[in-house]
Amino acid sequence: MSTKEANDQLELLQGTLDLLILQTLAFGHAHGHAIARSIERRSEDVLQVGHGSLYPALQRLMKFGLIVAEDGISENNRKARFYRLTAKGRQRLSQETSKWQRFSRAMTRLLTPLPEKGQ
Amino acid sequence: MLWKSRKDRLEDEIQTHIDFETQENIEAGMTPEKARHAAMRKFGNVLLAKDNAREIWGWQWLERLWQDVVFSSRILRKSPGYTVVAVLTLALGIGANAAIFSLVHAVLMKNLPVGDAKSLVRIGNNGDCCVGQGIPEDGSVSYFPTAAWQLLKKSTPEFEELAAIQAGFEWRPVTVRRDGAKEARSVMGEFVSGNYFRTFGLQPQAGRLLTDSDDVAGAPMVAIMSYETWQHDYAGNPSIIGSTFWVNTKPVTIAGIAPEGFFGDRLSSTPPEFYFPIETMPVLASVPYVHDPRTQWLYMIGRVKPGVYQPALQEKLSVLIRQYMAANKPYYSGKGKAELPKVHVVLTPGGGGIQNMQESYGTNLRMLMALSGLVLLIACANIANLLLVRGMARKAEVSVRTALGAARGRIIRQLLTESVVLSLVGGMAGLVVAYLGTKMLLALAFPGAQNVPIHASPSIAVLGFACGVSLVTGVLFGVAPAWIAAQGEPADVLRSGSRATAFGASLLQRGLVVLQAALSLVLLIGAGMFSRSLYKLQDTDLKLESTNRYIVHINPQAAGYKQTQVEELYRTIEDRFHGIPGVEKAGISSYTPMEDNNNSDGVQIDGKTGPGTQSSWIKVNSEYFDSVGTHVVMGRGITPQDTSASRPVAGVSRTFVKHLFNPGENPVGHLFGSPGSTDSFQIVGVVEDTVYTTVYWKDHLMYFVPFGQRPFGSKDPIEEDMSMYAGAIVLKTTRPISDMEALTRKTLASINPNLTVVKFETFDQQISDQFSHERLVARLTILFGGLALLLATIGLYGVTAYTVALRTSEIGIRMALGAKRSRVIAMIMRGAMIQAALGLAIGIPTALLCVRFIESQLYDMKGMDVGILVLSITTLVLAACIAGLIPARRAATIDPAQALRME
Repeated sequence: MSTKEANDQLELLQGTLDLLILQTLAFGHAHGHAIARSIERRSEDVLQVGHGSLYPALQRLMKFGLIVAEDGISENNRKARFYRLTAKGRQRLSQETSKWQRFSRAMTRLLTPLPEKGQ
Repeated sequence: MLWKSRKDRLEDEIQTHIDFETQENIEAGMTPEKARHAAMRKFGNVLLAKDNAREIWGWQWLERLWQDVVFSSRILRKSPGYTVVAVLTLALGIGANAAIFSLVHAVLMKNLPVGDAKSLVRIGNNGDCCVGQGIPEDGSVSYFPTAAWQLLKKSTPEFEELAAIQAGFEWRPVTVRRDGAKEARSVMGEFVSGNYFRTFGLQPQAGRLLTDSDDVAGAPMVAIMSYETWQHDYAGNPSIIGSTFWVNTKPVTIAGIAPEGFFGDRLSSTPPEFYFPIETMPVLASVPYVHDPRTQWLYMIGRVKPGVYQPALQEKLSVLIRQYMAANKPYYSGKGKAELPKVHVVLTPGGGGIQNMQESYGTNLRMLMALSGLVLLIACANIANLLLVRGMARKAEVSVRTALGAARGRIIRQLLTESVVLSLVGGMAGLVVAYLGTKMLLALAFPGAQNVPIHASPSIAVLGFACGVSLVTGVLFGVAPAWIAAQGEPADVLRSGSRATAFGASLLQRGLVVLQAALSLVLLIGAGMFSRSLYKLQDTDLKLESTNRYIVHINPQAAGYKQTQVEELYRTIEDRFHGIPGVEKAGISSYTPMEDNNNSDGVQIDGKTGPGTQSSWIKVNSEYFDSVGTHVVMGRGITPQDTSASRPVAGVSRTFVKHLFNPGENPVGHLFGSPGSTDSFQIVGVVEDTVYTTVYWKDHLMYFVPFGQRPFGSKDPIEEDMSMYAGAIVLKTTRPISDMEALTRKTLASINPNLTVVKFETFDQQISDQFSHERLVARLTILFGGLALLLATIGLYGVTAYTVALRTSEIGIRMALGAKRSRVIAMIMRGAMIQAALGLAIGIPTALLCVRFIESQLYDMKGMDVGILVLSITTLVLAACIAGLIPARRAATIDPAQALRME
């Protein structure tokens, strides 16, 4: 469900979904749907999370011990699986974030022929 | 379980996710139906997501395996004929092997149930038994005098403990009566050194075990009871410990109970029920040899200290034994001195105990193992053939699956799973067969035995063996057809449909059938040879009469009789038994024909020094010859007038005469005796060569001496003359008497309650017992031969039937073109018979070769028996005819029109 036109939306880059999930969970625990919603909303619906690919990613993060799952009750009073970061997950998040920032800075520099005016 | 719950949870979670999305959509104003649809679309492929998510955890292979197994079971259920034949084949093949292996494991490989069996060592390497003197031919001494044991024990610190064990206890049971009980029982008792139980590292079940202080002359007499006896005869009553038992009429205190499961120091169908210290033997069994420095009667088993170098120990022991013997009179000079240097001992592993049973069964067991291995080989060939046939038949199915996108690896894995499932089911069925088979084997091997310490329940080793064999079979013969099936280009296979080449079955399949035929011929011939050998054995003229005769083993010594009292006892026995209506003769003797006993001595005629001929001898009463049916051929037999008061006489056997007299010479009246006392007995008659000890003993010299008489001029005190004691009563009756055993017990008890029946059998039973070993082997080889034939027949049938099925359309065309039914039958039969003939061509030379290996186990047979060869070939050809005829007839009834329409 998006409000923007299809060509405004971006597919997630390979490997970024894991990072986004970790980042989302840094604010507190959340269930699968909430995670997807949150990513979409915070990217102002530019980034589209393939809901189907969310779950393999969650299982993968669990397997590596970066997040853990527990049963809980959702805001609309339904039983759901909630995920939250582990200490190891938090550490990984900060590593990955700085790596990503360096990477995106480099990419921006490479893809921009001239510095923008006024900056 | 973990995986299952994770799978369920994931499913729930995805459902919840879609529900949430739907809810949001509804809130945004969609209709519920549209909302749900949109949610589903946004989520994408649910199944793929689930699969991917699960794959993360790596359980996919297990799931696939489970799928394969389920699918395989379904496929197998769908073709019950194939499955049943395959499972039965495997079950019989594996079952027969596991049964034999159970026996081999229990008899040949298992250690005694004792502590740290590995550090136990036996001094000696053969089954020499039971009481004797002298140096064996090869110089290897295995049983020893008491003093030799004491010497070795004292001078070998290499041993933590060195125990001495009565070599032969089975032939001299003890009579035991619990204090207060009326009835005495004749049971197995073994005399052992005080450190016996300590050497084996055993703890008492109750009470205490023997100690060194029990094994001292004059110490209070104690005994240890076996756990089995304690449980079975005395219901585990704790008051047994410390109670008094009358052993051979002497009071003995039961000090304790041996641990559960301990069956003595050797495998035996009659394990000891009581253990006594060696030093009680002179009192309890009143034998003169316990302290005789020359009489060998003890085995030795010791526990070596860690780090002892055994070859050095063996050398040291050999030296000690040589020194010991050199100090003994017969080795000071002459022949004895010349023999002395070759005297030595050989150390053998002692963890399995005394290996006498192993020695006597080893060869047979190993041969049976080889035979059952051949049966398994045939079974495997059958399975291989079945799998191949199926692999071919399923080529089309596999092609369709390949064409639909199934990975080749996955198909191979599927087919492999199928054969593994099949062989595992076969393996399990095989275990059932093995269990029943082992029970049957034990019953055959030890007929009538109550507590053989071998159990039919398959051990872990047997279980592993069966599973291993079945798995290897499955994998091995699953791979080939799977590979072949998966190799085909789907398009080609699909195009060619089910039309087949004229050759039908592949070369590999035919080869397997030929191999089966050859192997089963070998097994059939083996079965024939062993059966013929058994028949020959049983058909031997034993020169005796066994109808309406009963053998009663007794032990007057154990009943407390002195040597000086037995002559009167024997008269009483004769009188009392004559009093029973129907009893015609009551023979009494040391031992009887066809029993495992022998007593022999050197003989010299008229003082002439001969080549040191040995002859067996027996003490008998006047009715003995008549009661066993030995005919007197010259002179007279033994009469009631031959008593201690008259000139000692003897009857001799024909072989005795043949070996010791010139042809035509009349032996009656001549004197003979053992070297040194040449006029001991005067020959009064010659008797037939009735077979004693064993049929295998040809040229067996025998002489018979009246009970009352001792060698003329003998200076040995009668109190030490063990030959005065009778071992058996032989009753000849006018008709079969059904309650003879009860009558006998009553009669003997009325003479003396301690005069118990050691063993009661008809003469026929006793003779039959002598062949139980050969009967076991003959029956098993027949069983294996039959099994092999059956499997080979099934194999041939299977391949022929498969060929017919493949060639249905071809045969239809032939018949449509005018081929006669008889020609079709001939064509199919020819194929089957060619394979059988090839099998014969390989089998006959193989069998001729193999006969050489079993010759030593056969009685009176040399080389191949032509009759058996012909019979085996005929049987195999007949079986091949049946196997070929069924599919051939089916081929002949093919309706050409229908066959062609099937295309």
